[in-house]
Amino acid sequence: MRIGIMSYAHLHADAYIENVRAIPGVELIGLADDDLDRGAQAAGAFGVNVFSSYEALLAEKPNAVIICSENANHRPLVEMAAAAGVYVLCEKPLATTVEDAQAIVDACYKAGVMLMTAFPMRFSTPVLEVKKILDADGLGQVYAINGTNQGECPKHLRAWFVDKKLAGGGALMDHIVHLADLLRWTLRSEVVEVYAQSNDILYAGETEVETGGLVMLTFASGTIATIDCSWSKPPYYPTWGGLAMDLIGEKGLVTVNAFKQNLTVYTHSRKRPHWAYWGSDANQAMINEFVAAIRENRLPRVTGEDGLRAVEIVAAAYESVTTGMPVAL
Amino acid sequence: MLRVGIIGMGFMGITHIQAWAQTPASLVGIVSADRAQAEKAVAQYGGTVYDSLADLLPHVDVIDICTPTYLHREMVLQAAAAGKHIVCEKPLALSVQDTQVMLDACQKAGVMLLVAHVVRFFPEYALAKAIVDRGEIGRVGVVRLTRASFKPASKNPQSWFHDLSKSGGMMMDLMIHDFDYARWIAGDVETVFARNIASRFADVPGDHAFAILRHTSGALSHVEGGWAYPAPMFRTALEVAGSEGLIEHPTGSSVPLGIHLRQTQTSDAEIAVPSSPLAENPYVTQIRHFYDVLTGANTTPRVTAEDGAEAVRIALAAIESARTGRPVAIQEMQS
Repeated sequence: MRIGIMSYAHLHADAYIENVRAIPGVELIGLADDDLDRGAQAAGAFGVNVFSSYEALLAEKPNAVIICSENANHRPLVEMAAAAGVYVLCEKPLATTVEDAQAIVDACYKAGVMLMTAFPMRFSTPVLEVKKILDADGLGQVYAINGTNQGECPKHLRAWFVDKKLAGGGALMDHIVHLADLLRWTLRSEVVEVYAQSNDILYAGETEVETGGLVMLTFASGTIATIDCSWSKPPYYPTWGGLAMDLIGEKGLVTVNAFKQNLTVYTHSRKRPHWAYWGSDANQAMINEFVAAIRENRLPRVTGEDGLRAVEIVAAAYESVTTGMPVAL
Repeated sequence: MLRVGIIGMGFMGITHIQAWAQTPASLVGIVSADRAQAEKAVAQYGGTVYDSLADLLPHVDVIDICTPTYLHREMVLQAAAAGKHIVCEKPLALSVQDTQVMLDACQKAGVMLLVAHVVRFFPEYALAKAIVDRGEIGRVGVVRLTRASFKPASKNPQSWFHDLSKSGGMMMDLMIHDFDYARWIAGDVETVFARNIASRFADVPGDHAFAILRHTSGALSHVEGGWAYPAPMFRTALEVAGSEGLIEHPTGSSVPLGIHLRQTQTSDAEIAVPSSPLAENPYVTQIRHFYDVLTGANTTPRVTAEDGAEAVRIALAAIESARTGRPVAIQEMQS
């Protein structure tokens, strides 16, 4: 199997390059980027073959591509790949608008190519334990879930993350989708109402987008859930951020912290504590699933529709911020 | 010598009497519906058991009201009319109108009304406030507060805690701690959006709620409160993110001592309170502060009657939001 990477804009591309290479029988044919310097960076760092254009990459007829462009550029790249009959794994959020997300899903459906949304948290081993408990009715009726997916402002990693046009927004766009997807998946229920508030006090003056956000979701099941998507971790935090949920239900309380498996490391060179993660690699498990779904000619465990549903929730959150009112879905 | 009387010998009354005993104040009397408990308390701490508040008031300089919330209004008015200073357990009252009447009466009578928002005296919460006030983390952006436990007095369905008209329910009785703290840290609240599960699942044995507050400063607060945990769990958490830094105090991090004995311990506790080994427990810190304020040694009360009234207003806005499903502006809560 041959896989290409379209765009090196998203930093997750680093992990995916290594993840693809780690799978026996899979060849990473290379990477293309409309920013030639950025493409050259990847070539330098990972010794990846770089194509002169997306067209040149697709002309090599890979079985699949992983799209790691800026959020707003997902749609043209997915459409290009679908037209070439290539399977797609698209970075999250699937798109910056519901219209684009729907167009992405439609394009892949019409072309008959499989579309997977990159939601690696579904492959986090601590989160999978929670899924198991809920599937076995181990918590009974789930009353409420307090979710946090906070992080540092990713501006210093890639400037486009705080570019309203390219990223589609700030903290809400960046950090609602992971938990929105996990909640839908673990609860087996859809969101019926979204309320959100945002502000720009954190990293004030450094961005044109919102940096703080709190979201309240109500599910068809009656479960209430909150998502803190704020970029509330400073750049000198022991790690980039984290994802955690407290689930309160009929039978008690289940807590999960997807990034708790780490060592606290103090070094003379860093002069601040650093959390070195030793847990299982969720990105690798996600790429494994993408490859397995292609090989077995089946739907992946996370679909394009899952990506679309998450984008709908984000769009509703932005609408709620604007109107100050809860938005029905 | 400051003469103190206490009315109410429930969990909080006993906690307060133990705290007063560590001040130079003189405990002169107790009134309680539970006469046996009152007799036991005077045997240990001194003073006399009185039949009614009216009988006790002439003998005191300050009355400490530790009765169920629905009784606060009348007792505060009675004490104010007698010209006595007042310490009142939180929540101050169950309606904005009641708090206004109480504040007016105390002002007119020239007596102090000190509301026991004890969280302001917990060292971790007081320290976080001091760090914020020193400007160490810049402007407050996002605050996260959690306080969750099991339903109080769960074995006693007749308990006043379970009667909304007497306690105001979980959002009024428990979440008010963090509504007050959020306002202390991030300033006045503009709008509240809240959701709770008790109204969604009729057979829920407890209650659990989330509230999103928007402060006038632009700061946001996430407040979680619950009576839906399995006993004997009690968890609190505190996080303040600012423009120039972050304070974290996650659940469980204030537990420096682990006691894991082989013999199974069953908890018969009716009410849970957070605790950490300290030279002075926060309830004592609070009462000592009130003592200093009442005796004029300290002219800056850490919590004012207005603070107590505003906390009630936020709690009522949250309850109204959860009931109606819409965001509630604090200004709407006038009565």
